[in-house]
Amino acid sequence: MSEKIITTEKLFKRYPVGDGEFTALNDINLTFDKGEFSGIIGPSGSGKTTLLNILGSLDSPTEGRATVLGHPISSLSHKEAAQLRNKHIGFIFQVYNLLPVYTVFENVEFALLLQNRSASERKKEVMQALEWVGLENMANKKPSKLSGGEGQRVAIARAMVKRPDLVLADEPTANLDAKNAHAILQTMKKLNEELNTTFIFATHDEKVMGYLNRLIHLEDGKVAKDEIVTAKTV
Amino acid sequence: MIKFIFKAILRDKNRSLLPVIVVAIGVFLTIALSGYISGMLGDIVEQTARFQTGHVKVISKAYAENIDQLPNDLALLGIAKLHEELNADYPDYTWVNRIKFGGIIDVPGENDVSKGQGPAMGIAIEIFSKNSGEVKRLNLVNSLLSGKIPVKSGEVLLGYEFADKLHVKVGDELTFMGNTMNGSIAFAVFTVSGTIRFGNTAMDKGTILIDFTDAQQILDMEDGTGEILGFYKDEIFLQDHALKTAKSFNAKYANTTDEFAPIMKTLGEQNSMGRYLNIIDSITNMFVFIFIIIMSIVLWNTGLIGGLRRYQEFGIRLALGEEKGHIYKTMIYEAVLIGVIGSVIGTILGIIVTILMQTYGINISGMLKNATMMVPTVLKSKFTPQLLYIGFIPGVAAMVIGNMLAGIGIYKRETATLFKELEV
Repeated sequence: MSEKIITTEKLFKRYPVGDGEFTALNDINLTFDKGEFSGIIGPSGSGKTTLLNILGSLDSPTEGRATVLGHPISSLSHKEAAQLRNKHIGFIFQVYNLLPVYTVFENVEFALLLQNRSASERKKEVMQALEWVGLENMANKKPSKLSGGEGQRVAIARAMVKRPDLVLADEPTANLDAKNAHAILQTMKKLNEELNTTFIFATHDEKVMGYLNRLIHLEDGKVAKDEIVTAKTV
Repeated sequence: MIKFIFKAILRDKNRSLLPVIVVAIGVFLTIALSGYISGMLGDIVEQTARFQTGHVKVISKAYAENIDQLPNDLALLGIAKLHEELNADYPDYTWVNRIKFGGIIDVPGENDVSKGQGPAMGIAIEIFSKNSGEVKRLNLVNSLLSGKIPVKSGEVLLGYEFADKLHVKVGDELTFMGNTMNGSIAFAVFTVSGTIRFGNTAMDKGTILIDFTDAQQILDMEDGTGEILGFYKDEIFLQDHALKTAKSFNAKYANTTDEFAPIMKTLGEQNSMGRYLNIIDSITNMFVFIFIIIMSIVLWNTGLIGGLRRYQEFGIRLALGEEKGHIYKTMIYEAVLIGVIGSVIGTILGIIVTILMQTYGINISGMLKNATMMVPTVLKSKFTPQLLYIGFIPGVAAMVIGNMLAGIGIYKRETATLFKELEV
């Protein structure tokens, strides 16, 4: 039996707008198993990023429950939420969001610094992560010297270096050309298969959808369709 | 983590350079201006001490009551014994005699017609005594414009403007007419040995300077003096110590009814100098206070701009699992590091400028041609140990306070709101 790592029940997220309110998520009921390679898909404004933020403990629901890795998101303190992200969740963004003053090595190392890991351990883990993404020779380069594809691969290494249970990727290929997008997706798929890490994407990119095993269609904050699909193999 | 922060500060010039420059300029201005104000006001105090009050002064009680009239008829007598007592009991000071007196100077011309005449303020100091240090203390050698320092009895120095007014030059004779301490007419002929710039307009225009023994003889003041001035041996005035000295000395003569008994006054107790010293302290403190307020506002804004510029970085760090409190703490660490670097630079620059200003000063004699006030003609800064921290501590504090205020804005936002604003 597969292990459920995320459950949402009657999840609502509303934002005040003027005198009324805007419902970004409307009665979301989902479960995600460990090792899934799934995507929340839909047009802009459909609620993808809001759902991803709640699952990543960056936001909390207005109503309903979201349980991530056994932690009820609504009742987590700031500190507990930070610890959950620190230890168990990796983020990959549309823009790579690397810290420009640090080298590739230091950007990846930062996640481990927050876990108070020893210098030797950090070095070993960072080099391993860079090897996964094929950038072990670029450890000392600054982000400004990297191409778009290389920058996103560093971001993947940063998300994966702490070997999280869950990776949340928000439009990770939006700024990449087709060749780089496929390379990135293949890297992530490979890590998913080798490390059994759960990947959840928020996307409307057809290229990404081709690699996913499950597509959750969001429309106006509601789940319109939840389908299992046959994905490309790496 | 500190190492990691330090790397970022060194590498990101935008993050470090502007705040460092702002702090350094603020600290520099505080030190340079405080040093200048202390120097300017301190110069007036020191000048007054050197020429008028000493660091402490011993006079007779009766003389003290009428001090504005320079009443030499109420002068101290038996001063040899008094000097023995002062040297034995208060060895931290150099004790010197001074007599101030007034009179008329007449410069004889040809055919028994006066070449020049005018009222003179006389100061008698121990020029011939090598131990008194008076020539050095009053900076007579460097202030000499022509001629030489008197080396024998009967020689006189004149303020250079006074000499111009009287039309006398070095080697000319002049006649002094005044009163002895007993009220008889005093009459003496002097030879001008040199002209001098006292650095004080009032004195330059009407002062003559003679040796103390000459004055004793002319004014009939054998074993007597108008005033005994005490100067700290390192020439630095210590107000609290001087007060203790005066208190202990005066206690010895507290019970006597003799109006000619000596009494000791500190610099702060004469010529309203106490109020003046308090003003110096107040102005310096005010400066530091204004600095902290202004710098905090400036650095708060700098911190805000820096914070806004780094919103994205904070967002990434939040996403990576760093706590908001930790981000806030690292901002403060950065502020301390930048504050220390800026304050060190500002302090070094401020002290260099203060020492240069202390050595060379600004000559304002051209602006004081018609002045009759006792103001120094060269304005100088003064280096004091206080300058080492007077800008440094507020520099670091302002940077930290500025960043704390700026950081609160970030800290108080909900993670999700902040994350949205970050557009990560």
